[in-house]
Amino acid sequence: MAALLEIDGIYTTYDKADVLHGISLAVEAGTITCLLGSNGAGKTTLVRSILGLTPARAGRIIFNGIDITRLATHKIIAAGIACIPEGRKVFPKFTAEENLRVGAYQDASETIIRGRIAEIFRIFPRLAERRGQLAGTMSGGEQAMVSIGRGLMCAPKLLLIDEPSLGLSPRLVQENFNIIRQINDRGISILLVEQNVRQTLAISTRGYVLAKGRVVAAGTAAELRGQQQVREAYFG
Amino acid sequence: MIVELLAQYVMNGLMLGMMYALVAVGFTLFFGVLDVIQFSHGDVLTVGAFTALAAFVGLHTLGLGSRWLDLVVIVLAATLAMALLGMVIARYFIMPLRAAPALNTLLITLMLGTVLREAVRLFYPEGANPKPFPALLPRDAVALGAFNLRLDNVLMLAAGAGVIVGLQFVLSRTRLGLAIRAVAQDEETARTMGINFTAIVLITFAIGSAMAAFAGVMNGLYYNEINFGIGLYLGVVGFSAAIIGGLGSVYGAILGGFLFAGLQTVGAVLLPFASAYKDVFAFAVVIAIMAWRPTGLIREKISERV
Ligand SMILES: Nc1ncnc2c1ncn2[C@@H]1O[C@H](COP(=O)(O)OP(=O)(O)OP(=O)(O)O)[C@@H](O)[C@H]1O
Ligand SMILES: [Mg+2]
Repeated sequence: MAALLEIDGIYTTYDKADVLHGISLAVEAGTITCLLGSNGAGKTTLVRSILGLTPARAGRIIFNGIDITRLATHKIIAAGIACIPEGRKVFPKFTAEENLRVGAYQDASETIIRGRIAEIFRIFPRLAERRGQLAGTMSGGEQAMVSIGRGLMCAPKLLLIDEPSLGLSPRLVQENFNIIRQINDRGISILLVEQNVRQTLAISTRGYVLAKGRVVAAGTAAELRGQQQVREAYFG
Repeated sequence: MIVELLAQYVMNGLMLGMMYALVAVGFTLFFGVLDVIQFSHGDVLTVGAFTALAAFVGLHTLGLGSRWLDLVVIVLAATLAMALLGMVIARYFIMPLRAAPALNTLLITLMLGTVLREAVRLFYPEGANPKPFPALLPRDAVALGAFNLRLDNVLMLAAGAGVIVGLQFVLSRTRLGLAIRAVAQDEETARTMGINFTAIVLITFAIGSAMAAFAGVMNGLYYNEINFGIGLYLGVVGFSAAIIGGLGSVYGAILGGFLFAGLQTVGAVLLPFASAYKDVFAFAVVIAIMAWRPTGLIREKISERV
């Protein structure tokens, strides 16, 4: 059975030099697959390539049987991918609720949107209290909730999550991991970019380690936990 | 006597303010979605006014036409044609230059404005001369003392206000408006939400350019004359109004438009024997406002956290 997301030897470049050098990886349906790697390894670039924000110049990205390598971003989203971007990127001049609504931009049905907002408010009761507050005036933790909720609003098949715990307190980080697991329990496959190796491997099925734009290690979470490269990438 | 004269000035100021606001909103919308100044915006207005005139002439050559049919046809012809022209400008002249320095876009749109203006002057029949514009609105007036409140002015103000309220409604209450505001805040994240960026930019240019065409028709109906230079002037004033209001803010642009017209009116009242100086007065105050509040009157109040 083919994986939900299959990346096959992609090269991505910003200006001249390649940042990704022939990356291949797969996200199996229903799993949490993690992407580890030190700063500047190319994790965010990989996410941007999947989303078509910085399309790969070579190689192929197949999602759910469709070649999305060169599709426009809105078509990739329509295919069933959503993203909780690095740095959260909430719309500062939108209220919390408007931020959620824009996450469901491609779903025109008001009933569906209302239902999903209610669901997000069940996960994050704090957002319900602050639904009318401008996201730009919210605390970092609240903005994280807005960003996660917004990513869920289009009911994606695959959710790309880029460093959700950056800048959060240890308690919130733990809560974040619990929520990611809950999201996965609802049947949404996840590609999780993280720096907290231990907690990430604890909830992941499989993982990949990136260094300097190449996959240097891959395997099940249990295999990765024991591997030399993982330790080197972080503690070396 | 004085009161009637003042009422006359106020009415005139409101008419001008409405036209300026309609033009200024375009500048601010375009800047919102693409971070560019569309310097040919005023000349789009000119082309819109001449399109309206051509549609009128066309109707009468065909022997069709009654006052209200004329009005509907010329407004539709001007706004739809300029919506299309605005999209063409965005798609083929501005978007391809996104990777280039902003100065290049400025230069391209300035030159494009000159091309549009000269095209009207050279190719519209006798386009170099001022052209009479038909008075299609009823001229009935209600006498309030010695001041005549003219129905055509009231109708034009009401129509202009309707357009502005309609725009506000679209921006604040609809899915399209949500997308335009999202793109204005953060293009990349908006795309990540599944918004078709190119489509939203083109629709925004269509809306802004149609509003300029509407202002062009208003200008023709108000003065009963148009010439190939009206857009140059209205463009400069609209741009200034958008800047004083705080570029990117729709409320600011509307405020800026009426403020500028107010300044001109005050200038004309204070300098009754030298009303030719009213523009000098208005622009001098604009310069003073810019020195006092370099980012415009409506400032962004939200600190943008990352
Ligand atoms: N917009 C850009 N233009 C040019 N180079 C870029 C751009 N974004 C990233 N890079 C470069 O690409 C490389 C990979 O960056 P990327 O953001 O993908 O790393 P990352 O693994 O996400 O790092 P981090 O853990 O710090 O987020 C870096 O060397 C970076 O300098
Ligand atoms: Mg990153």
